[in-house]
Amino acid sequence: MKRIVFISILFMLVLAACAPTAGDTANAPASESAPITGGESAAFELDDWDSVLSAAAGQTVNWYIWGGSDSINAFVDNFYGKALQERFNITLNRIPIADTVDAVNQVLSEKQAGIDPGVVDLIWINGENFNTLKQADLLYRDWAEQLPNSRYVNWDNPAINRDFGVPVEGMESPWSSAQLQLVYDSARMSAEELPRSYPEFSVWACEHPGRATYIAPGPGGYVGTRFIKGALFEISGGAEQWATFNQDLWDQWSPELWDYLNDLAPCLWRNGETYPKDEAELRGLFANNEVDFSLTQDISGAGSAIAQGLVPETTRTFVFDNYMIGDFNYVAIPVNAPNKAAALVFANLILEPEFQAAQILPENGFGLGYAIDVNRVSDPDLQALLQESANKLGESATPASDLARALVGDSAPEYQALIEQAWVENVLQK
Amino acid sequence: MRNKLIFSPWIALAPALILTVILLGASLIYGVAQSLGLMSVIGQDSISLDAYINLLSGQGMAGREFWGSLAFSLWISITSTLISAFLALLLAVWLSELKHTGAAENLALNWNLAIPHLVWAVALLLFFSQSGLLARWAATLGLIQAPADFPVWVRDRYGIGIILHYVSKEIPFLAIIVLAVLRRQSTSYTQVAENLGATRWQRIRFVTLPLVAPSLLSGMLLVFAFIFSSYEVPALLGVNFPRMLPVLALRFFNDPDLRSRADGMAISLIITIIVLVVAVISLKKGEQQ
Repeated sequence: MKRIVFISILFMLVLAACAPTAGDTANAPASESAPITGGESAAFELDDWDSVLSAAAGQTVNWYIWGGSDSINAFVDNFYGKALQERFNITLNRIPIADTVDAVNQVLSEKQAGIDPGVVDLIWINGENFNTLKQADLLYRDWAEQLPNSRYVNWDNPAINRDFGVPVEGMESPWSSAQLQLVYDSARMSAEELPRSYPEFSVWACEHPGRATYIAPGPGGYVGTRFIKGALFEISGGAEQWATFNQDLWDQWSPELWDYLNDLAPCLWRNGETYPKDEAELRGLFANNEVDFSLTQDISGAGSAIAQGLVPETTRTFVFDNYMIGDFNYVAIPVNAPNKAAALVFANLILEPEFQAAQILPENGFGLGYAIDVNRVSDPDLQALLQESANKLGESATPASDLARALVGDSAPEYQALIEQAWVENVLQK
Repeated sequence: MRNKLIFSPWIALAPALILTVILLGASLIYGVAQSLGLMSVIGQDSISLDAYINLLSGQGMAGREFWGSLAFSLWISITSTLISAFLALLLAVWLSELKHTGAAENLALNWNLAIPHLVWAVALLLFFSQSGLLARWAATLGLIQAPADFPVWVRDRYGIGIILHYVSKEIPFLAIIVLAVLRRQSTSYTQVAENLGATRWQRIRFVTLPLVAPSLLSGMLLVFAFIFSSYEVPALLGVNFPRMLPVLALRFFNDPDLRSRADGMAISLIITIIVLVVAVISLKKGEQQ
């Protein structure tokens, strides 16, 4: 008898333990269907901006954004979050992720599970992740050039209307710009000693063994990929020829690229046996005085890192005389975004000249460059504001004229994976 | 009566089992599907064994690194397991011979079990890297000229840092297992051996080791399987190349090209199969005891 009681108690425990599971599966479709009705009631027409604004009022925009920088997080909350709430009654829900690929995986999994609407409204994205979502046809289409503020964006610029060479086609809207630069400490060396080309960099490295390195190209190390592409451009004597994919061109020049990098390797940190895997690791080596150069993409140069106390205050940035790749980064809306109207309002807000002027200042915590073309802003007050911000960057930033002289566009996207794979086999494993 | 006795543990286990089977089973099915190239979002709806064939024949980006990574994983897992088992045995024997084993010894054995692997790995990095605390102390004391002269113990090509991590984490775990066996045994075997003139080393080798061998071996297989399949420590303390299999798997799973996911998933499933084989061996050994 006792045993029967015992077994029935066990059964009850089993049922109790299962109940939440059963409840979850029963609840899931219900909670998924709720935003659909919300979405239907919030109908809007893309070419009628007022309808977008009224649909967006009261919505929450779930923005999946790389959360690895406290200063960028604070900038987003303080500047965009407040303005969205006060001007449009939209709540900004910033969802920090470790890598943009996490947001891409979220949207992919939703698609596989047939979940529509999903949970992602907006993603900070560019290059390969944009290509991935475009490849899977998971992006909301034809909206970027319909934003009122897209009049400030120079869509005729190939650096804007192609992202890593992939046509943007209105599926993402620019947020800011960046350009590859090298970082040095003016307390350790003077500006005259700086290498100004890839061959000079190699000479410098071998005169100072172990004091230089670059970031391993690969996912998460795209700054390093960019550094290597610059070398390829310089070795082959031009950047433009790489804008479209050409296997013969690659076969012709890649052996010389590997020769250059393999000659360089023994002079590098740890004799080129291993390389820092991302910008943060290289900056750590630089700040620890293990190497003398770091790499950055910030238009404000070393300003943001100095403001965060990550590098000494004497840190400066510089560029080689040519082949320093620059590009734009964007925001994109997944096709199953639950609050598309709010996402559109947000994508428009970040192009406002006042916020563009705020984002380049290192003390505000972001430090990337303009997405808009300053010459397209006609309001004299706003123009003055943008000019003032640019003037404020100071000595921790690379002079704008140096940046402009060295600026080249990125190569076709096919080269990205090709370089990253071939580098592992031809340089790292040698 | 007898039937009920056999039946009841399954009922008791059911809540946990059902959850595990549903959660693990679903992701396992997805994993197998992806490793076979099923990616409906990019229009791949047909099954192929390409990922496995490429890996095993050393073709393609993932394949060319696969065998090297497998060897590196085995090197790390086997070396770490053997060193920790040997040191754990010595530690346990020493502790069991102490007259008063009290709270202090237990604390000494247990404290590092409470520290997560991730935290321990970061601590090792802060201590042993070339810009770490030890390097700076050595430079300040004049033992080396600059912190960068410090020997490369973490993020090195041979995985010394990873092995150091696992040895320091697994010694206490294995020592506790061995100690539990030793404390159940009476000391008479060792005393007899001692009376017959066996040296200290002979006593460990011919008396203690055979006594604890079955438990120690099971523990070692567990440790091996754990190290072989873990990601965070090799990711933190390893180099770009060679990489352990789990690091390689995630690299390809997160590749922007969705077709590379099949490679990542196939590597994960190969890791799973190897761990399962080890687990089955471990279970069989356990039954023999």
